[in-house]
Amino acid sequence: MNIQEVFCSRKALTVILVLIALSPLFAYAAEAVNYSEPLENTAEEVGAEEHPVYSGVLPDYTVPGLDPYVGTLIAGLVGTFITLFLAYALSWFMAAKKGK
Amino acid sequence: MHIPDGYLDMPIAVLFYLLSAAVVGYSVYRVRGTLDEKKIPLVGMVAAGIFAAQMLNWPIPGGTSAHLVGGAIAAILLGPYLGCLAMTSVLVIQCLLFGDGGITALGANVWNMAVVNVFVAHYLYVFLRDKGLHLASFVSGWLGITAAAIFAGIEVGLSSSFKYSIGVTVPTMGIWHGLLGLLEGVITAAVILYIAKNRPDILNEEVSGE
Repeated sequence: MNIQEVFCSRKALTVILVLIALSPLFAYAAEAVNYSEPLENTAEEVGAEEHPVYSGVLPDYTVPGLDPYVGTLIAGLVGTFITLFLAYALSWFMAAKKGK
Repeated sequence: MHIPDGYLDMPIAVLFYLLSAAVVGYSVYRVRGTLDEKKIPLVGMVAAGIFAAQMLNWPIPGGTSAHLVGGAIAAILLGPYLGCLAMTSVLVIQCLLFGDGGITALGANVWNMAVVNVFVAHYLYVFLRDKGLHLASFVSGWLGITAAAIFAGIEVGLSSSFKYSIGVTVPTMGIWHGLLGLLEGVITAAVILYIAKNRPDILNEEVSGE
């Protein structure tokens, strides 16, 4: 298999890598404007609070102990490729059965 | 739009786990055996691209921001059933690996972003396709996410932590995401038009399960 077959196209892979590379920049900018989504604002309005039950392996797209921006970059790479792998595996499983 | 733990009452959380499981299960049933092997890389790349794009929070000054959700892009490129499964993969990874979206709220988050967003976007796209790709993909991106936000408003608005204030949560979520959703519509249209121009084969293929 060549890169074309695995990733659809070199261009698609490049776009995804650029998005990941931009993630620390967006994280910085979001912090600068006090990023908060409508759901969080609504919660604040009525006084609802989060009660985290589980915070994940890489909480909030950071790597514990690492600089948050480096952590975001690593989290982005790890997350993107695990998602790629999961969606690949899932569709392989669905295609393989009656398909042939 | 990702609902964290603590926002939903247990019966609501359970109800949406069940509803989502039913649609995701049905989607697997519809896709299984009909999926062309050549499409496997496309499914992977759409899911991976949506994951990466969702990490980019748009820095909109003024205290209310958002990020792309991508349900319409998934629906248009993969069809509703496969699109639903791709979005579900993204949401499961976000929840389990990054704690983005509460684990108790995963059912509701899948319902909003992998079911409502994807299927509403799909039907809007199919309905408007004859009127032009620009319009169909823009409206599908815009109203797909707005519908998802309204559902998020319903779910939290029926929960005790939000004091059952569904009369506040639904309009607030609907209006804000209706505005921010214009950006989702623009990005959806840009992605779809680019693909239509450069890889028309992806768009012209029969959408699986249609």
